[in-house]
Amino acid sequence: MTTEILWWIFAAAIVGTSAGVVLSGTVIHSAIFLILSLAGVGTMYLFLTIEFVALVQFLIYGGAVTVLILLALMLTRMGIGGRPEPVTGVQAPFGALVAGALMATLIGVAVSTAWPGDIGDSPAEVKIEQIGEILFQDFGAPFIILSALLLVAFIGAIVIARQEDGD
Amino acid sequence: MVPLENYLVLSGIIFSLGVYGVLARRNAVLVLMSIELMLNAVSLNFVAFAAYLDPDLITGVIVAIFVIAVAAAEVGLALAIVIRLFRNRSTANVDEAATLRW
Repeated sequence: MTTEILWWIFAAAIVGTSAGVVLSGTVIHSAIFLILSLAGVGTMYLFLTIEFVALVQFLIYGGAVTVLILLALMLTRMGIGGRPEPVTGVQAPFGALVAGALMATLIGVAVSTAWPGDIGDSPAEVKIEQIGEILFQDFGAPFIILSALLLVAFIGAIVIARQEDGD
Repeated sequence: MVPLENYLVLSGIIFSLGVYGVLARRNAVLVLMSIELMLNAVSLNFVAFAAYLDPDLITGVIVAIFVIAVAAAEVGLALAIVIRLFRNRSTANVDEAATLRW
């Protein structure tokens, strides 16, 4: 019962902070809302008793990604000396329409479908050793490709963001 | 205990908010943040399905880890592009960076 109450509190917090990300007028506020929202999704992984993904979420999303985003925001501040920044573009009403229709569809499908094999009372406990074995045995090749992708992406990021002599 | 539907509804709401952010906001970094929200909703969905329907194989957990890694690569690269765009054009508005649009 306590778990359920806590779950609803965290779910409401996630929805509120996610709405804050897309609706807030100040980009720095959006970034701070994003940190809270990502941490909230991390607690959802804890509710699902998959601690490893929760840890990765807190470390990589809550730490690294948000720091990167905050840094980029501070390097690209608009509206200080130049033009003021519009919050939304002309397509905002259509965006709201599409997002609302999508939300109604997703919620309707999720609620009306009878999901098989619901384990009900307690989600199964996933051991971290189990994740490691599956990750390195069954998914060994995708894991290596993923490492190469990360390396190439970050070298590319350095090359793109580098200050060149001609600039 | 919380049923599976609650997680699905929650991730649907987060995903739709992300879609609205991508379509409505014009700051490139904010569009990126909305994409992060959508990716988060997707991996929450995967992990919820893995925990409730597939407790032995936990493929969904692996997919969630892959999503997080790809999102990290995507954020690094996209922010480099945004910084480059800002340096060349002094703007981070995606509507003003439309040279490649037919």
